[in-house]
Amino acid sequence: MFWQWLTAPWQYEFMVRAILLSVVVGLVCGALSCYMVLRGWALMGDAISHAVLPGVILAHVLNLPLALGAFVFGVGSVLTIGFVESQTRIKEDTVIGIVFTGFFALGLVLLSKVKSTIDLTHILFGNVLGISNTDIYQTVISSVVTLTILFLRQRDFLLFCFDPTHARSIGINTNLFHYLLLSLLSLTAVAGLQAVGIILVVAMLITPGATAYLLTDRFDRMLGLAMGLGAAAAIVGNYVSFYLDVATGGCIVLVQTLLFGLAVFFAPKHGILARKFWAKIDL
Amino acid sequence: MVTTSIAVENVTVAYHDRVALYRASLAIRSGTICGLVGMNGAGKSTLLKAIMGFVRPLEGRVLVQGLPVGAAQKRNLIAYVPQAEEVDWQFPVTVFDVVMMGRYGRMNWLRLPSKVDYTLVQTALTEVEMGKLQDRPIAELSGGQRKRAFLARALAQQAQIFLLDEPFAAVDITTEKLIIDRLLQLRQAGHTVLVSTHDLSSIKTFCDQVVLINRSILAYGDVETVFTPENLCRTFGNHFCQYQEGK
Repeated sequence: MFWQWLTAPWQYEFMVRAILLSVVVGLVCGALSCYMVLRGWALMGDAISHAVLPGVILAHVLNLPLALGAFVFGVGSVLTIGFVESQTRIKEDTVIGIVFTGFFALGLVLLSKVKSTIDLTHILFGNVLGISNTDIYQTVISSVVTLTILFLRQRDFLLFCFDPTHARSIGINTNLFHYLLLSLLSLTAVAGLQAVGIILVVAMLITPGATAYLLTDRFDRMLGLAMGLGAAAAIVGNYVSFYLDVATGGCIVLVQTLLFGLAVFFAPKHGILARKFWAKIDL
Repeated sequence: MVTTSIAVENVTVAYHDRVALYRASLAIRSGTICGLVGMNGAGKSTLLKAIMGFVRPLEGRVLVQGLPVGAAQKRNLIAYVPQAEEVDWQFPVTVFDVVMMGRYGRMNWLRLPSKVDYTLVQTALTEVEMGKLQDRPIAELSGGQRKRAFLARALAQQAQIFLLDEPFAAVDITTEKLIIDRLLQLRQAGHTVLVSTHDLSSIKTFCDQVVLINRSILAYGDVETVFTPENLCRTFGNHFCQYQEGK
């Protein structure tokens, strides 16, 4: 009975693809989310995931890989933000808000021009159930590239997030890692876009890391947990979506939010209950 | 032979339109401890940051062991101990992880620690008496323990030159004494140390030279000749002079 419940979705090819793709996306977004959370880049993640829209559309029209278009516009938005911030008295969060909505609006305008070929709702809310083979290959390739770079240079990224001053003092080029991390974020935003849509990508890019951060004080465990949470939420979300016949992207993100909510209350050391408990013991 | 370890030549630094440091020149000898003394906002951190190349001077230049600072950093010649407030202490790393970061510059690009790296980290932890706390998350450290962890990271780096920004701020007397002992040991081994501090009372106990700073360098030289009430009065202003006369 339960076995049947568990295997039923796998009899449909579109479900198999959907689950596998969202697990890959969950893993890579989970890994990246740790750095986003620790670096304090949640808003930056939101900005880049929106700013890639015009790039995705142009790439689609020109028949180029979507990741390439996203990369150009993601990095372009970051450079624009950095330039305006350094040259004017406007504060960073304001600049981010202006630039990413501007890029996003450009994307919407472009989209209305090429409406016949791309469906707006698929981009905004994801279309993991109807994803094409090409999209799957592109997502898997960009995910493998991102994970490989993150793991090989894990310690540099960690040091860059924790203490960039020390990194510079031992001759590490922190600018390189700054832009490398932002580039990986742009690449991953496209992968996440296909699973849950452009509006919810930012959840994939911060929630697992935040949940894991409540659960541990070790970075390697945080990384493993965040990836596990990302993948688990992808699987559970797909099942919920399958049986209740509701939006897949929304389900994946809801599961992640639910897990975060549980951690907020029940995390063994940093949860609200644990803090109350230890406060009492101390008395 | 007396050699110059850190040469600061006519350096001016401004943040936007405010001049933080005006035409500073120094030549710090190898194998000495130099104290950097001045009020809050007098430019102590700015001078250290200019030496480290973290701020770009409007004019002038800095040479470390005769090299531009970027080249000196690539050769791991300088260890910098920042003020403890400059990092996020809720970061999910242990004391051991932090000290190991001192070795990154000596590792290959994968940053895989060798046996030597492990040994040097252990030695550094023992030297600051933090061996027992090595597996503790840094979020659980006290103020003094944080400074010790940072000092251990600098020691593990095995640099020639050590720059310390306010290592004695908000630490207990045991930690202060421990830090001073380590600095004296470094001098013994021929290293050069530049340390900024508020603590005037301890200067004479461990510094060879002293720099008095207030936006520009007011006096610089051996402690006996420079560290005088008149000079301190010029560094800290009227309030300090009256306090000294009263005493």
